[in-house]
Amino acid sequence: MSLKHDIEFTLNGVGKRVTVDVAMTALDMLRDVVGLTGTKYGCGEGECGACTIRVDGETRNSCLMFAVDFDGRDIVTIEGLAADPKADALREAFVEHGAVQCGFCTPGMVMQASHILDTNPNADAETIKRGIEGNLCRCTGYKKIVDAVESACCGGR
Amino acid sequence: MPDCTTNCVNEDILTMTIERYAAPQSLDEALGILQQGEVTILAGGTDLMPQTKAGRIAFKPTLMNIGRVAGLKGVSLDGAYLRIGALTTISELLRDPLVVQHAPVLAEACDQFASDQIRNAGTLGGNINNASPAGDTLVPLIVLDAEVELASKPNGSVTTRRLPLAEFFTGPGRTKRAANELLTAVRVPLPQPGHVARFYKFGTRPALDISTISIGIAGIKRDGALTDIRVAFGAVAPTPVRAPRTEAALEGRPLDAEAIAAAADTARDEVSPIDDVRATAWYRKELIHNMTRRMLDHVAKA
Amino acid sequence: MNVAEKPVIAAASLIGQRIQKKDAPEKAAGKTRYIQDMVVPGMLHAKILRSSRVHAKIKSIDTSAAKALPGVHVVLTAADVPDQQPIGVARDHLPLKGERVRSLRDEIAAVAADSDEIAEAALKLIRVEYEDLPVIATPEDAIKPGAPLIHPAPLDAHGRPQSLPPKTPIAFAGKADNIAMRFDYTHGDIAQAEAESDVVVEDSFQLHYVTHCCMGVSGVIAEFDASGNLLMYSNTQVPFLHKREFAEYLNIDPSRVRIIQPPIGGGFGSKLDIYPFEVICIFLARAAKRPVKMVFTREEEFLASPTRQPVLLTLRSGCRKDGTLTFRQVHTLHDNGAYTSWGATTPFVMMQTFSSLYRVPACDYHTTVVYTNNPYAGSFRGYGNLQATFAIEQHMDMLAEKIGMDPLDFRMKNAQDVGEVTGQGMEFKSCGFKECLTTAAERSDYRKKHADNIANRNARGPVKRGIGIASMLHVGGGAKIYPSDGCGTILKLDDFANVTLITGASEIGQGSETVLSQLVCEELGLPISAVTVVNNDTAITPWDVGVHASRTTFIAGNSAIGAARKAKAKILAAAAKKHGCGEAALDLRGGFVVVAETGEPVVELARLMRNLHFSDKAELVMTTFYYEPPSVHQDKAFKGDVSAAYAWAAQVVEVEVDTETGIVKMTKVTGTHDVGRVLNRLGLEGQIEGGVVMGQGYALTENLIVENGVTRNPNFRDYKLVTAPEIPEMDITFVESMDGEGPQGAKGVGEAPAICIAAAAANAIHNATGVRIFGLPFTPEAVYRALRGKSDKPHWPAWKPE
Repeated sequence: MSLKHDIEFTLNGVGKRVTVDVAMTALDMLRDVVGLTGTKYGCGEGECGACTIRVDGETRNSCLMFAVDFDGRDIVTIEGLAADPKADALREAFVEHGAVQCGFCTPGMVMQASHILDTNPNADAETIKRGIEGNLCRCTGYKKIVDAVESACCGGR
Repeated sequence: MPDCTTNCVNEDILTMTIERYAAPQSLDEALGILQQGEVTILAGGTDLMPQTKAGRIAFKPTLMNIGRVAGLKGVSLDGAYLRIGALTTISELLRDPLVVQHAPVLAEACDQFASDQIRNAGTLGGNINNASPAGDTLVPLIVLDAEVELASKPNGSVTTRRLPLAEFFTGPGRTKRAANELLTAVRVPLPQPGHVARFYKFGTRPALDISTISIGIAGIKRDGALTDIRVAFGAVAPTPVRAPRTEAALEGRPLDAEAIAAAADTARDEVSPIDDVRATAWYRKELIHNMTRRMLDHVAKA
Repeated sequence: MNVAEKPVIAAASLIGQRIQKKDAPEKAAGKTRYIQDMVVPGMLHAKILRSSRVHAKIKSIDTSAAKALPGVHVVLTAADVPDQQPIGVARDHLPLKGERVRSLRDEIAAVAADSDEIAEAALKLIRVEYEDLPVIATPEDAIKPGAPLIHPAPLDAHGRPQSLPPKTPIAFAGKADNIAMRFDYTHGDIAQAEAESDVVVEDSFQLHYVTHCCMGVSGVIAEFDASGNLLMYSNTQVPFLHKREFAEYLNIDPSRVRIIQPPIGGGFGSKLDIYPFEVICIFLARAAKRPVKMVFTREEEFLASPTRQPVLLTLRSGCRKDGTLTFRQVHTLHDNGAYTSWGATTPFVMMQTFSSLYRVPACDYHTTVVYTNNPYAGSFRGYGNLQATFAIEQHMDMLAEKIGMDPLDFRMKNAQDVGEVTGQGMEFKSCGFKECLTTAAERSDYRKKHADNIANRNARGPVKRGIGIASMLHVGGGAKIYPSDGCGTILKLDDFANVTLITGASEIGQGSETVLSQLVCEELGLPISAVTVVNNDTAITPWDVGVHASRTTFIAGNSAIGAARKAKAKILAAAAKKHGCGEAALDLRGGFVVVAETGEPVVELARLMRNLHFSDKAELVMTTFYYEPPSVHQDKAFKGDVSAAYAWAAQVVEVEVDTETGIVKMTKVTGTHDVGRVLNRLGLEGQIEGGVVMGQGYALTENLIVENGVTRNPNFRDYKLVTAPEIPEMDITFVESMDGEGPQGAKGVGEAPAICIAAAAANAIHNATGVRIFGLPFTPEAVYRALRGKSDKPHWPAWKPE
């Protein structure tokens, strides 16, 4: 079996110590080792965005990240965002605007949207579309997702 | 036997395991580890992870995560150069005021790079060392006369050398970086007065496509003519390439319709791309021709 | 609250409102547990070894090293499962292949182990020896005389093909040719109609491979209890059909199979059939005596889940100078792939479009579905209609041009109307087709733009603008394919007037839970939040035929309304008795029984429920209803009114074509849909927008590249789904034709929006450039080649079925 390594990081505001296989993806660690399944596997190659998480504030595809690279970092997953009252308006916007259908892309989409709101609180529709260009959705045609994020932008004003 | 390009894995990989993981904090430490040999370097991971998972690249016994090495990140002015640390992410480049001011074409290319999540992770050094013929930052950096800085510690002390980026690539995934070297920075000369640079990446999406072809053009524009011309193409050869004949066709000539048409024809003849799943060679040559012409038209009108 | 305090309650309707999806808050919080997220204690993880050859005999399989690997519980090959039965629509597909592989995805062995990693490592230890066979890579090759057979009959002791009893499954008996299925339909006198035509056009069209790309990859968990009863966690769209089929494959009574459907990460038709991985997972669980979970990788999803069926189609159409259509003659050649799934049966839908979208006096339709060594085709949103519409709607423009008629006028002249009974026996009891055409055309300014674009074709600049229109007809009231097309409902009110709606209809992300709750609440005067939907367990829910054919809102909706009306009648009768008034004078509003005329509250519903329950009679309000639509099965000639209602739409697509790159940018889609009636406006818009963008992908970007049986782009990098920045502006409007049979007047629309985008895009590209392209997709290189006259026009092989 492969080499293991001990890491320590902050997960959704709580310190966490884990021993991981050094070749393991952050996605597999979150889902299979830590047991947080809100972060989804969609492609394993960084093409779909279903596994989007926030790492030191920036969004990343957790499927492209080595779990060992979490060491010392601040990680937020959809479970952390769902528990954060500051993000209620964004999640509610997804519900209200019909941005959710099968819902499989939704956690990654919400994570990426939260990053857009943080970095560009006045983002317009075009900026939002570019912001979620790495998140694939097969159900909605994106329009209602863009509407939801846009309303959350305006809601914050 | 079918051509099983997508399913085949290198069976040797099965026996490959990582024996050591290192996350050095300093350059000195990192170079020391490299000097011991047999190291796979991890930066942003956006290329390394899928390549190792798919079996296209095998891990060496040591996996070295350079993400925590101090001093490899950020953009600064260094005399007549813009100095970009190898660990600077694509997102950071895209927003960096110095890059936007002195190398706007690089910022433009970064805006057409993958997706936000990947731009947040991917580093400039990683994009260069991955040495894909379609690497998005390579063509603009080549026409900007960028050079790479390589550090090593062969005899216990750190030495560096510089290489023009245009000469750095030797094949897909292959460069002149020696196994004991780390790419620490990229240096881009500050633009001269009249400097113009353009980048075009073919795709139907703003960024997420792997480029079918890309084109970089730079030069000094004076009195309707271009001098010191650099033309480079991506995804038409095993590495990104300079196009000396196209450059010669333009050098010093007034940028009129005739010159532009001649340069576009030369460009089409100069490249020898291949057929692959993204495009045929014929279409790539057509794109090189048409878009070189369109870019030169824009330069002429600007 | 006291009745006395409650003011008058005005009548209010939920119909047409924007109702939030019931499961959206859970999904937006990442709390929804899909099959990929499920952990059953003690479960093993399974992987499948697939063929590395396109077409080959298997000479030997050696699993000894895999079996010896620590952590491996079971390794199965065909030899280990002598009782396996062929699966699929034509029973031509053994889940585990022991003698021959017919496509690159074929399952040879399977492993159940302690982890995915161990299972994966075990696969690499299995040695398979092959003997390559000639590859049939195209349908044209498959029908050539003397072509190698994909499913040859087994040989007897003398080396001659064995003849087994006629009903023997193809998987055992083989087939004397490569033809999987044939469909022949005709109405009217073609020869006479052609003689009466002033103009005739004939072209061939090539439709490509695309695949569903559900964001959640395929997965299943199988588990047997101590008595040998099977419990499956499955993403199926048709649980009751599959329950029966799985039982058949295991040779057990169907009552011993229970299917639970966790929330599903996208369906789109992909989960209508049983696939080998599901059966194999069951075999593994049976052998391991442990729960076994199998989940695909994305690459596997691309290689081994079904596709939309590629079609070569030749169409001959005629009309008179006055714009009257005269006839249509169609031949299609379907690439079935190596095995038969629902893709083979899409001609059922294709022929409806040819025979009945417009009034056409004569129609002659023939399909031949042939085996190849390619990936096999399943059902996919639209079910053949995208392909048929692509051809028809291009010919509508071409005929109009030939006779010098405006393409919109030409369509209006031939469009179906209410009351029409088509040559195929479809009866249009509600039909807003013409209003769809005029609305979409007016809102998009179609006529003016169409003329302007033609005038501007030769203007300077590389980018040309185009506008194109196309229309569609699709079943909107179920489709009577199986013995029943019905759905059952059990409805229960508790002591607090909360409703449990137990329905056979599955939620696959489309919003059925929400719309069914809405229909129930409309009857019972309750808020949506008062409803809990139970819809995912065959041991609990009443029978339903499944999520397909855009049927759920219509069929399950009518079923839910039926149960709710029975409950309402019971409630009002009880209230009338207790309060001494006529039940006809009462209504249910806002959680109260009210006097219908005044809105004056009579009693709070919850209180009434408790009174009933805790009275001497101890009565509960619990009702059941089974809705069977008044449609009929088609006869052997494919004639009959197969759906209770039909949906219509017209879509206008606007494009910008960069003639120097071939890039087609879809700038705007104006769509008008006859939906019968808008129920949940939010959900409906979501279905339409999603379908439009799926249609955009089919038209412009998606292309599963299969060369010599090898899928070249099994990843999202090169199989390009539309991303957010590429979507067009969308102007979506609805025609409410108030279908008499539909729930509150509504018709099904799930598949409709994807159907005509590619056809309209083709017409738009022609409008922009004057160049007509007969093959999909309109990728930049394909368009660029067409503009330069460098593309091969699809052509029908010199072959006709006898």
